[in-house]
Amino acid sequence: MTPTHFTISSAFLLGMMGLAFHRTHLLSALLCLEAMMLALFIALSLWSLQLDATGCSTAPMLMLAFSACEASAGLALLVATARTHGTDHMQALNLLQC
Amino acid sequence: MHPTTLMYTSSLLLMFAVLLYPLLVTFTSLPLNNDWASSHAKTAVKSAFLISLAPLSLFLSTGMEAVTSSWTWMVTTTLDITLSFKFDHYSIIFIPIALYVTWSILEFATWYMHSDPLMNRFFKYLLTFLVAMLILVSANNLFQLFIGWEGVGIMSFLLIGWWHGRADANTAALQAVLYNRVGDIGLILGMAWLATNVNSWDIQQMFILSKNLDMTLPLLGLILAATGKSAQFGLHPWLPAAMEGPTPVSALLHSSTMVVAGIFLLIRMSPLMENNQTALTLCLCLGALTTMFTATCALTQNDIKKIVAFSTSSQLGLMMVTIGLNQPQLAFLHICTHAFFKAMLFLCSGSVIHSLNDEQDIRKMGGLHHLAPFTSSCLTVGSLALTGTPFLAGFFSKDAIIEALNTSHVNAWALTLTLIATSFTAIYSLRVIFFVTMGTPRFLPLSPINENNPAVINPLKRLAWGSIFGGLLVMLNINLFKTPVLTMPAELKLAALAVSILGLLTALELATLTSKQFKVTPLRTPHHFSTSLGFVPAIIHRQIPQLSLLLGQKIASQMVDQTWLEKTGPKAIANATTPLASATSNMQQGLIKTYLTLFLMTLVLVTLISTT
Repeated sequence: MTPTHFTISSAFLLGMMGLAFHRTHLLSALLCLEAMMLALFIALSLWSLQLDATGCSTAPMLMLAFSACEASAGLALLVATARTHGTDHMQALNLLQC
Repeated sequence: MHPTTLMYTSSLLLMFAVLLYPLLVTFTSLPLNNDWASSHAKTAVKSAFLISLAPLSLFLSTGMEAVTSSWTWMVTTTLDITLSFKFDHYSIIFIPIALYVTWSILEFATWYMHSDPLMNRFFKYLLTFLVAMLILVSANNLFQLFIGWEGVGIMSFLLIGWWHGRADANTAALQAVLYNRVGDIGLILGMAWLATNVNSWDIQQMFILSKNLDMTLPLLGLILAATGKSAQFGLHPWLPAAMEGPTPVSALLHSSTMVVAGIFLLIRMSPLMENNQTALTLCLCLGALTTMFTATCALTQNDIKKIVAFSTSSQLGLMMVTIGLNQPQLAFLHICTHAFFKAMLFLCSGSVIHSLNDEQDIRKMGGLHHLAPFTSSCLTVGSLALTGTPFLAGFFSKDAIIEALNTSHVNAWALTLTLIATSFTAIYSLRVIFFVTMGTPRFLPLSPINENNPAVINPLKRLAWGSIFGGLLVMLNINLFKTPVLTMPAELKLAALAVSILGLLTALELATLTSKQFKVTPLRTPHHFSTSLGFVPAIIHRQIPQLSLLLGQKIASQMVDQTWLEKTGPKAIANATTPLASATSNMQQGLIKTYLTLFLMTLVLVTLISTT
């Protein structure tokens, strides 16, 4: 595995582990989500450079646009959670689970 | 212009002017004096009658007929309509008779409606009706006839509902309008067919241009129009219900003039029907059914006006039978003679009703032969004329019709029904006379029996002269268009007289049984059938609105609105998706951390396995 491949994969995995093992705050989960998106962005940008494939040059921009939408959706959910549950503690979201 | 035609046209113009002048006076804002009705309206009709005798005498002496076309009304590319009057055998003889009868009725109405505060309006309506009827009778094209047709229909509505505070009167007026409207559909169908296929509404042009065409459809339309206006079976309930109007209205409209308009239309259009066997058979069977059914209903009615109304309906059926025998002139003769005695019967009923303080039930009358002798005598004369007593007015037309019926190749069932109806005529006429004039009084002692007013006596006298001599006078002075069959077996010749005498004897026998209890448990079903008018109004007047309402509910509301536009459209998507969505959200328990951890671990495993 090349060092670049290893770096990006491990960055992605670390972000995902942060998303999966979050304990208290929803905001930290959203930050890890952003980290995953960042890793994917760098990967896509390096793709066209390393492989000399100019056809995929626009892919990182698209990726960035969609990640911005997703981040804003996540933040809206955070605000809604804060309004309905009072905090963004993860334990609060499970209270009415059946 | 030929002097005879000039005489005809100027007489009709003068008649219209004389009749319209009192009406125009009412349109100014001057208040009418109290005896406007007797001084203006009745005098106008009397003058119009005297004027109409001039064309009549000219026609009787020369036999000349005329058609006058004057003002061009509409010119379209294909159809011209002009103001056109036909002075033929039918209109010249009918107009004086109608005016004579109307004169008598108006004079009677000055006494009958004396206490009504709106008497002047009543006379105005009657005059308007008369003008519309004259337009109908003298019309030479179907457009003008239609104007008269609708005019008489509207005036009938206004006059039947004269006492509009009474719910039954309003119902009866509405029935008259609705049933006449159904008939009007037939007339408009006939007119439309003729306008599009024969390209004319003029009577002369229609007859010539339709020689080789198949006229079944327009003839069916015209027969439907006659069924509606002349109360044939199927569209008949309005005529007995129309007795809610005052007695002069019943006498004028619903015995002599308006209800014969349908028959008159068929008589005018008879050259179209001569060769169409379907139309003739339909007229015959419809007329026979009508005359039998209504005579049956008349047997057990207890309201004197209803009995006379059913009698009118039965005679109208007889006229329809005559048209079905291809004898329009005999039907016309019956119209003329029937006008006299039927109007007189209604006026006698009116006199009796007012004398007994507005009592109309014959079970509460009796003994009027001594108390109101003149009225009873006129009632008897009228009933005898109705049953076709030899040499009174009704005999000449009715006997001629029955003879023609017996000697032609005709449906035996129609023949039987007509003969039975003739015998029923004798039965219910005797019933009326028995209950009203014979026996002992069954009414309250202080009844205002007074027939000494000349406004009552003179009309009855005039109509009595007409009932006795009218048939003879008309028959002596006309030429029959079709040669009648003059030789027949004696049984056929005497058939009408025999069945009438048979009916009379049966009725006399039944009359003597009224004071004895003949049967311990009487047979009530036929009586119920007859008294409830064959259950036709009870069924039809409820069934048709119920069907319409059901149709509205089932189709408009339930099928279209609720089903197609709601349940299968927008709501279907919602109803299908909601269970799916709730099932899915019930499945997801919300344990995000567990789901993500599992996802991560599988991802790590995949990575490790793929790299090693």
